[in-house]
Amino acid sequence: MSFLQNIQDKLRPKPAVITGDGTLNEAAVRAALSQVIDPDLHKDIVTLGFVQDIRITGGAVKVTVELTTPACPVKEELKKQCQTALEKIPGVTSADVTITAKTRGPQLAKPEVSQSLGRIKNIVAVASGKGGVGKSTSAVNLAYALAKTGALVGILDADVYGPSIPLMTKVGAPEQSRDGMILPPKINGIKMISVSMFGSANKAAILRGPMAGQIIKQFLTQVAWEDLDYLIIDYPPGTGDIQLTLSQAAPITGAVIITTPQEVALIDVRKAINMFATLKVPVLGIIETMSYFVCDGCDKRHEIFRAGGGARLAGETGLALLGEIPIDPRVTVGSDEGKPIVTSDENAPAAQAYMAAAGKTAAQLSILHAQDKGVLDHFSVVWN
Amino acid sequence: MQQDLGVRAIRQFDERTLEITWSDEKTCRYDVVNLRRRCPCALCLDEWTRKPILKPEAIDESIRPVRIDSVGRYALSIKFSDGHGTGIYTYQMLRELNPQ
Repeated sequence: MSFLQNIQDKLRPKPAVITGDGTLNEAAVRAALSQVIDPDLHKDIVTLGFVQDIRITGGAVKVTVELTTPACPVKEELKKQCQTALEKIPGVTSADVTITAKTRGPQLAKPEVSQSLGRIKNIVAVASGKGGVGKSTSAVNLAYALAKTGALVGILDADVYGPSIPLMTKVGAPEQSRDGMILPPKINGIKMISVSMFGSANKAAILRGPMAGQIIKQFLTQVAWEDLDYLIIDYPPGTGDIQLTLSQAAPITGAVIITTPQEVALIDVRKAINMFATLKVPVLGIIETMSYFVCDGCDKRHEIFRAGGGARLAGETGLALLGEIPIDPRVTVGSDEGKPIVTSDENAPAAQAYMAAAGKTAAQLSILHAQDKGVLDHFSVVWN
Repeated sequence: MQQDLGVRAIRQFDERTLEITWSDEKTCRYDVVNLRRRCPCALCLDEWTRKPILKPEAIDESIRPVRIDSVGRYALSIKFSDGHGTGIYTYQMLRELNPQ
């Protein structure tokens, strides 16, 4: 909890604990829980409508708290705070807090949305200014990390010229449904679609811009994604045709920018940030890859590509630094063998950094939806 | 993380007027014939000089949109009854056009 919230908390009038005739009631429980503040949304969990179910049997209280994302980075912290708040109510002998989550999408009903994208709550672009910064690796690990928390996740590999998601996940081939929609194959519960599923892996996709654009549009409109909490789109590197097509064809909820620490990489990242600003796609934050290497012989932290580029960029642009991912051969091996590090070696520092980054990304999306000013995501007007 | 101007509501106001309510509560009405004449696409506006190629008188008063769709989070596209539909009208441009 930040200093400011602490102060706000102290200034907040303490609601009287109403126990009526001395027995415990729901109002008392709600009053106690209204002391618990969500650190991202800066409001108490009762006002936010997170408290879903209150059961009181004698002195035993059971409460269900529904968060906005299963990937909430402060889940345990909130649970502890609820527990403490409940135990302080006079008459409570035991407190049991269950945390569940339902990912929130835009609060407004969309007038007419394409069949394919309509049931996706969040579309997240994973983009970079230049190639080779670990964008696909990050996209896959973010997706697996979100899926691990129980969210429904899909990956759209939009890198038409160098699709690498199928190699990194060893996912199977898509099928065609009766109504002509493409059914994406699933692995680890994650739905995936990639250009490489529609041709030989070694054959280069030699495509003019308009052709590539058509393929991307099909991926967005003719794939049966169905219900998803998060669709992660692995963008091709740079700021060109396909990035523009993607941002036009789909209402991208937000973008995560991947960069390495050195200044030459940051120049291009600024361009990517500018592109999203022009296209009015909110940038959720920055993930810095290849941040440092911890030597297994001497435990020394080597900052191979200079230190703190991502943090400096975050400071300069006011964006959140979602994570600093260390260089670890296990990340590369995991990617090559189809076992992303967040599942193959979950205690590795790189895996933990990706898990934390996924949590922060989900939190940024929740903040975005909370600020939703009733803006339409997507609209169509037919003229009479 | 800042959120830019967006469309809160969009509807056909009357036979030749489009009405947009923006996220800052401002409501603007646009004459659709004028929107066709101000089409920002490369066939109607020179890409380099930004000088109009399209002559206003070439557009008949009877022209109407067929449908209007959002483009990403920053613009809309209008398919007109003359078959023209390549213009991407950014929200910023529409606000600068604001007739009222």
